[in-house]
Amino acid sequence: MNENYLKMGPHDVGGEDSLPIDTTDNNMTHWEKYANALRIVVSSKRIITLDELRYHTEALGDQYFEIGYFERNCLSLHNICIQKGIYDMELFQKIKSKKISEFDVPIVDLPDVASINHIHDGKPHKHNVSDFQEDESGDGPPDYYFDTLAIAQIFIDQGLITNDDITLKIEQFDNIFPNRGKAVVAKAWHNNLFKEALIKDAKKAISDIGIELETFADIICMPQTDTVHHIVVCTLCSCYPRTLLGMPPSWYKSRSYRSRVVHEPREVLAEFGTIVPESKEIKVHDSNADMRYLILPPRPSNTEDLSEQELSKLVERDYLVGVRLPK
Amino acid sequence: MDSKFKINDEVIVDSRSSTGHCRTPAYIRGKKGIIERICGRYPNPEEIALCKKDPKIVTLYRCRFKQMDVWDNYSGKDSDTIELEIYEHWLNDA
Repeated sequence: MNENYLKMGPHDVGGEDSLPIDTTDNNMTHWEKYANALRIVVSSKRIITLDELRYHTEALGDQYFEIGYFERNCLSLHNICIQKGIYDMELFQKIKSKKISEFDVPIVDLPDVASINHIHDGKPHKHNVSDFQEDESGDGPPDYYFDTLAIAQIFIDQGLITNDDITLKIEQFDNIFPNRGKAVVAKAWHNNLFKEALIKDAKKAISDIGIELETFADIICMPQTDTVHHIVVCTLCSCYPRTLLGMPPSWYKSRSYRSRVVHEPREVLAEFGTIVPESKEIKVHDSNADMRYLILPPRPSNTEDLSEQELSKLVERDYLVGVRLPK
Repeated sequence: MDSKFKINDEVIVDSRSSTGHCRTPAYIRGKKGIIERICGRYPNPEEIALCKKDPKIVTLYRCRFKQMDVWDNYSGKDSDTIELEIYEHWLNDA
């Protein structure tokens, strides 16, 4: 192993020993979706770049693994805003208090959530079921949610972003992005020419079928074969083809997965129930810079008669990261 | 501008330490591999992170390493490999 002194910080975990991986994907709460959308909107508009956000996240030191992924994002965004003078603490606290007061309502039995309509900032406002996920414990949303709401409100007040930008991003992550990768793989299973084009130049092939990915990064497609098993990780943060696959699952962002998959891929794959024969080469892709990866799984057996549409229902996200294979 | 390395060239990742934001993980520094492909030219993330105006544009390579060369006591097969993206200023001739 390399000497510890070369480690850049708490985020530089590749090669560390760590715990077994919790392979279940914990669904995101509404505040996490909101925090994610804000981060993506802010970086795609180049108000604050992704590398700045990463730099400030890495600088959190001991706090890095003491708080969660979205908490880290929120805190680094806030620290940058203060450092750059986008707002000061007085304004931040004032807006945050206002956001908290909007949640400070008497506890009553909840009516049918879909029927809740009330007025926010003079406009009719409708709630989704997901808005109440955090309330199941009776504790209300975490304090970081109010931080995130306050940061977003200041950006909106300054005309840098709009509420619609955030709403659209949440919608895309929920309903658009996760389906793109599945559609692309189903097409590759169904159409050999498209498969060849995808492996040759994935971003172009995907664009040629009318899907324009909202990303600066390039996409590389690696096909699983009889002799090579591909698997993807980002040891330094959580680089992932989000506009093609949606949000990375919680295990992909976990310390265990990021530490271990680079130096013991067979053991990690076994924890996902994937046993790779000794005769096969395992190729790990550390997605550490400007490329993003799509793993093309083999077409399942006995599917010769299925349409592209039917095939798309057989595509699972885990295949496209390389942790599982279709039967 | 020409890139310094071509496909299949042998390279060693620089083993210097770094401060600030950087995309070369510690575990790969000092390791020997080959150029798998040239990815193109990108603004240096180390400078973007510091909000430098007009960050330097650098060539990015995908490099292939044998797992046996990266880890002491690697428990997998001889044929196993790992591939990473490394910017030109982190690569030296082997």
